[in-house]
Amino acid sequence: MHHQFRSPEGPIEVTVAKQGDEWSLGGLSTTVMADGRLRIVGSDGGISFGHVAKVGDVWWVHTQGHTFKLERIEPGATDTDDGGGLTAPMPGKVLDVLVAAGEVVSAGTTLMVLEAMKMEHRIVAASDGVVMAVHFAAGDQVEQGVALLTLDES
Amino acid sequence: MRGGVSMVRKVLVANRGEIACRILRACNEAGLPSVAIYAENDASSMFIELADEAVLLTGDTIGETYLDQEQILAIAKSTGADAIHPGFGFLSERADFARAVGNAGLQWVGPSPEAIEQMGDKMTARITMRAAGVPVIPGEEIEHEDEADALAAIEAASHRVGYPLLLKASSGGGGKGMRAVHAPEDLIESAKGARREAIAAFGDGRVYLERLLTGSKHVEIQVLADRHGRTIHLGERECSVQRRHQKVFEEAPCATMTSELREAMGQAAVAAAEAVDYEGAGTVEFLLAPTGEFFFLEMNTRIQVEHPVTELVTGVDLVREQLRIAAGEPMSCGPLMMRGHAIEVRLYAEDAANNFLPAIGPLAVFRPPEGPGVRLDTGVREGDEVTPNYDPMLAKLIVWAPSRHEALQRMRRALDEFVVLGTTTNIRFLRELCDEHEVITGATDTTTIDRIWPNGWQPTVPRAVEDMALMAAAVAESAGLHRKQSMASTGGQGPPSPFETIGRRFP
Repeated sequence: MHHQFRSPEGPIEVTVAKQGDEWSLGGLSTTVMADGRLRIVGSDGGISFGHVAKVGDVWWVHTQGHTFKLERIEPGATDTDDGGGLTAPMPGKVLDVLVAAGEVVSAGTTLMVLEAMKMEHRIVAASDGVVMAVHFAAGDQVEQGVALLTLDES
Repeated sequence: MRGGVSMVRKVLVANRGEIACRILRACNEAGLPSVAIYAENDASSMFIELADEAVLLTGDTIGETYLDQEQILAIAKSTGADAIHPGFGFLSERADFARAVGNAGLQWVGPSPEAIEQMGDKMTARITMRAAGVPVIPGEEIEHEDEADALAAIEAASHRVGYPLLLKASSGGGGKGMRAVHAPEDLIESAKGARREAIAAFGDGRVYLERLLTGSKHVEIQVLADRHGRTIHLGERECSVQRRHQKVFEEAPCATMTSELREAMGQAAVAAAEAVDYEGAGTVEFLLAPTGEFFFLEMNTRIQVEHPVTELVTGVDLVREQLRIAAGEPMSCGPLMMRGHAIEVRLYAEDAANNFLPAIGPLAVFRPPEGPGVRLDTGVREGDEVTPNYDPMLAKLIVWAPSRHEALQRMRRALDEFVVLGTTTNIRFLRELCDEHEVITGATDTTTIDRIWPNGWQPTVPRAVEDMALMAAAVAESAGLHRKQSMASTGGQGPPSPFETIGRRFP
């Protein structure tokens, strides 16, 4: 079966084939255990176990001490980009807005200061650009994931 | 009350989460009936189940619930509790609450309100310690409350203290209201930020300046004092490894400690405790400079997050001793004996690869490690939701082994076994920390994390492991494991109930 997962470098295509109880991908083979864990046999014959859980569209996988978040791209869904929007990493309160719409900023400039869990978090421009819009003012409460500002990256 | 014998028959735990679980278990072990208090959003939290009684706090915010002194005292009255254990955080270092507890005829599990006041205001503590002959970090206290006056005084003092320096909130703790300043041009913005954070968190914007002692270790001494004239120290913990001034990796003993230095620091800590007529468990924090000089940082007048490492190497149950001392009994421990090595790491719901930003989400899988020498102190279990309402610490993982080398090996093994899915945690960060040269040699200081990862931490993931994870996700999706999981969580699957099959009825 064919699946796509999101990654910073673009979608990753994964195709697994099933024969009997065994799934295979290249030199790897995997069986689903009775308790829902996966038993993965590597190309060198080494055995690993994987814990998996799906939350929303994201598959969480733990194996060999590493944890992965793999967001599945539903077939037919278009890959959307946030278009330079800077989003709230946590629910919290806007403490300070340091830029105004139309302002030219360079990478690393602090744009906004948020407070979440009693700690201050700085929203920083990832690249040079122009502030197109500021969506919140100091004192506003923001939810996780909302766009705080729109930056036109130059 | 001091010097007298006060019975303790029923303990109200004025806290939540992990530390409430720790204290409630100690009560259960001691055969002491216990009362938990909880906010509405904690109604299904684990600590409630460990108490004999649990009472809902009315109100929405933290201020209206876990910090509402009058409501908590009223619950103590109505449930017949005669002692209040505050844990850490919340009301634990509030002298006014300790005083109100005493005035209500209840026993406070901790030191006197006067001791809390003297140590809680960090500037007063520095002055008290100087007078008691305990060395303090060179610096200056700024008493001005007015913003403009304070900033001017800070500016003037900065020339005498010198750079780099630290600005710290007098009412501070946990890194809140604290700023490191490396150059004069950053001073005013940092001072404003520290004051703003301090006012928001503590309602007190006063800050003081300290010289930033680079290359120093954070070493703290555990003390215990009872009403029978005994004040002792239980050796040190090293907690140098910090991110954003919050500890993440703590151990006992300190890798570079000598018995002479331990004795000197221990005596200074006992002197500090005696200077404020201390009672109960407390921690005197020091900075230990590379020269071997040590300086008083602050005293925490409560049980500390990292207390388990001391418990594992000394064999003393600190929370049980707190309860014993509060009841007016003498502490039960004998002379200090330290055995083996213990390490604690703090598991946070946070994205270590993104500047340690707090994370939220469900604990879809929460499977802690087991086996020899492993202790887990937590307040959550699988199925719980991590919310932004409270501190993002999920658990403390503590290991003990005969030597430091073996303790690190055990910690690596335990972290590799620890599975948390659904919420981002710092487990991998902690695991990689255990492989760092400075951690292996014990040459850690308070700047270790910033020095190892100056541009922030990113996980190192072998390509083969990443491939396995991708395959696991693809197989899990193909096999429809998510549908089975969601059925199991709604009770659609799982082992069949014998009561259904035999058709038994109650009554």
